[in-house]
Amino acid sequence: MEKYDVAIIGGGSSGLAALKQLSALGKQAILLEAGSIIGSKSISGGILYSKKLKKGKVTNVEDLYENFLDDAPFERKITKYILHSTSKDKIFSMDLTAAHDYQANFGCSVLMNKLNSWFAKQATETSQKFGGGIIPGVHVKSITWNDKGRAIIHTDEIDAFEVKAIIAADGVNSEVAEMVGARSKFTSEQLYQGVKVLIKLPEKIINERFGITSSEGAAHLFAGDITLNHIGGGFLYTNHDTLSIGAVYHFDSLLKNPVEPYTLIDTLLRNPMVSELIKDTVPITKILDKTLSQEEQLKTRFDIAKLIKDWNDIRGKYLTSACEDPDSVKAKLDSIEEQMTQKFGITFGINHVESEYGAKLIPDGKRCRMEKPFFKNILFVGDAAGRGIFIGPRIEGLNVGIDDGARAAIAVARALDKDDFSESYLGEYYSQLIDESPYTTDMKQIDKDYLKIFLDAAKDVPSDIIGSGYGPILKLMSSNTFRGLVIKFANILGYDKLLPLIETENTYVKVPIQLAERLGKITSTSYHPKDTSIGERISKLSYNDDHLSHIKLLDTNNEFMKKIVVLCPAKCYAEEGEKIILQHEGCLDCGTCSQKTEWRHPRGEKGIHYKYG
Amino acid sequence: MIKGISLFINTYKLNFKKNRIAELNLAVVVKLEPDLSAGSISYNPDGTLNRSKTKNTLGPHSKIATQAAFYAKVKYGAKICVGSMSGHAANNALQIAMETCDADVLHLYNDPSFAGADTIGTAEVLRKGVEKMEGTMEKKMDIVFSGHRATDGETGQTGPQIAWKLGLTFLGNVISYDVDLEKRTVTAKRLLILRGVPEIIQEIEAPLPVFIAIDPSYKYHFNTVSLRLSAEKYKKEAYEKAQNYQQYIHTFNREELGAEKTLIGLVGSPTIVYNVQRVPKGKAIRNAKVLDGSNPEHIRQTVTAIKEALSAMVIK
Repeated sequence: MEKYDVAIIGGGSSGLAALKQLSALGKQAILLEAGSIIGSKSISGGILYSKKLKKGKVTNVEDLYENFLDDAPFERKITKYILHSTSKDKIFSMDLTAAHDYQANFGCSVLMNKLNSWFAKQATETSQKFGGGIIPGVHVKSITWNDKGRAIIHTDEIDAFEVKAIIAADGVNSEVAEMVGARSKFTSEQLYQGVKVLIKLPEKIINERFGITSSEGAAHLFAGDITLNHIGGGFLYTNHDTLSIGAVYHFDSLLKNPVEPYTLIDTLLRNPMVSELIKDTVPITKILDKTLSQEEQLKTRFDIAKLIKDWNDIRGKYLTSACEDPDSVKAKLDSIEEQMTQKFGITFGINHVESEYGAKLIPDGKRCRMEKPFFKNILFVGDAAGRGIFIGPRIEGLNVGIDDGARAAIAVARALDKDDFSESYLGEYYSQLIDESPYTTDMKQIDKDYLKIFLDAAKDVPSDIIGSGYGPILKLMSSNTFRGLVIKFANILGYDKLLPLIETENTYVKVPIQLAERLGKITSTSYHPKDTSIGERISKLSYNDDHLSHIKLLDTNNEFMKKIVVLCPAKCYAEEGEKIILQHEGCLDCGTCSQKTEWRHPRGEKGIHYKYG
Repeated sequence: MIKGISLFINTYKLNFKKNRIAELNLAVVVKLEPDLSAGSISYNPDGTLNRSKTKNTLGPHSKIATQAAFYAKVKYGAKICVGSMSGHAANNALQIAMETCDADVLHLYNDPSFAGADTIGTAEVLRKGVEKMEGTMEKKMDIVFSGHRATDGETGQTGPQIAWKLGLTFLGNVISYDVDLEKRTVTAKRLLILRGVPEIIQEIEAPLPVFIAIDPSYKYHFNTVSLRLSAEKYKKEAYEKAQNYQQYIHTFNREELGAEKTLIGLVGSPTIVYNVQRVPKGKAIRNAKVLDGSNPEHIRQTVTAIKEALSAMVIK
């Protein structure tokens, strides 16, 4: 049996950070990734932060990858951060850029497929020096231990092999955690469900529409009627030449009031402000003349496809800041447009161009952090350990995972030096490193300076909107003298007791609607997007279908599964009489149904393959 | 210090392993074919393919052949030479091939006299090419790979004809293979399809050298961590090499190949295409009726129709 020092399971940003850090410390590690290439299974909102925290040091992305800011394919540095309260066509906006900038070096929008493959390239270079590297297309099936306490990894694709330690970075639906019994599956109270669409829009149009330059970016958050009465909200982030638009809602609020995830996205897209931001010019082809011979029809179809492809390429080139010779490119574009209209009767209209739909569960770090993030010689990091940060509009996950990965690597390197992989030497030490992390302490203590940013942003809001319950507290907190006292009291209560008070429909739905109605501006749009059907969205995705289903139904006749029929983002479930049936083709591997099913990740290289993520 | 020594030993082991097994020499013959994907293809007004406007790419079957060669590269540390006969000087098929199999040498056989060749005329050029490769690499080839067929020719004849001309054992429809370096034999699995019989997989052993025409369903599989890691290393090396693929290309014309005029190009091609006919469209004999599944009456009609059909069937 082959033997290696460390195995990292999962090639997301957290696992890759562990690999990079371990190789930086001169240790051998191999990383196993189920997707056929790194990044193909990753999806994120997403903003990646780099933080400078008052309470301690974290490993930021640019600490691990020194050339990150110069070379990494991140999208845009976010320079505007705005929270919108919506009610029909009325929108009330609050600028929270100060909150976004708070204790941050930067926060940039990212698309995970591209970024994770860049991380992988960097990590591979260093890890290969020590006999390690990345192995894509491998799905871990089980883990056993031999009599020396070494872990044996069994996979669907390659022969079993032995390692001294494991870093489990296999995400929110961590199979490693479940199969070894390190934690039970996250429950609906501990999770958010996020769905996202990626919308294409040329760079220059994004710059103009969002009032930014190519080196700047905007993030917009939404609450109010677009939530359809759920706890959570919508987001819109500018990428280089795409927009990430998504809806993230607490799973238990979705279970209470099930609405299709794609309906939640469509509701956001139909908001007049969003509609106005996403619209673009698109070619509209005429219906082919059916009297023509089949060969002739096919030939015309090919010619049109080629012209539209060229038009897209050249238009994209023309509308980038990097376009060197805009006049000649414009001339080319005009000539193609002329050909399109004159030869094939193509017209131009307004629509929005969706290029990818995706979904993911997100661990609510306030409620599901693993108290003991280790089991025997396995350490859990990032989403697998339930460590996202969601405090109001503070939404962080990627940076936490990267820091966790680095901490796990440090603990494993220390264990390798002493050849001691016991829970007391490896696990406890890692746990201690995690407890010291400001990302952990931040979740336990309310930061009064951070809170002040909101109080300042909301100072003109009439207190009766906030409601009789919060009014007096807010008044107290607005005063510099009393704020400290109130926060001290709040910290004594702790997040556990405060959460049910803060995370309510009132906060995410009623108050924003009130704000929009009383203080909002009317926003109008000439573009009313038609809903894209879920079938159309799924048909644009790439899959490597497995004839074996990775999901097994346990009980086909229960209330939870009936709700899953509605909540599955890929509409894989249907009701047939009393029973629920599953068709696993088209599954996004999100894990929405995992609580009441036997759920595994698909085998190596199988399942969804995100192109953007 | 100890670490230093062990690192040294590991490197030594690796080198030793490579030296011992670098005895396997592979050739892959590939074809540049029109890229048939939407947006890349272009037609003449008469409906025929406009070859000058259509983009070209490595043929899909040729790509599988290069993948098969990559398997041996990773497993046995083989040396690979990829050759192609083509009228295009800038041959991106060779670039893709290099990126796929981490080729060491690229051959391009380019001469106006090669034009108009049928399969046997092409086979002659490629036979000469393989012989040229043996000259370049100063060693006889152990395995020559080809794809199953071309997508713009569909005959599947060129591979077997090269094998015949080279006097090599021909193994067609190979879905997996392994080499025993000591015995100098190859064991291969071949997929045989016969009408009315489930898939047959034939396992054969043959002494090297052989000619392998790879089956479209071939997919390499590396079953250990170490093989996977070295596959990743070779892939990376291949990607970097392929960026400057032109510096690996050796171009040969007819004279340099030493190919006889009468055996190549139009002159050496006995096939004469005097007419191309469409496959005639069959007359529809079914009497289709559109039914609505939510209409109970329609379902009743369907059930009756099925019952009638079944009752008319004679089951022996």
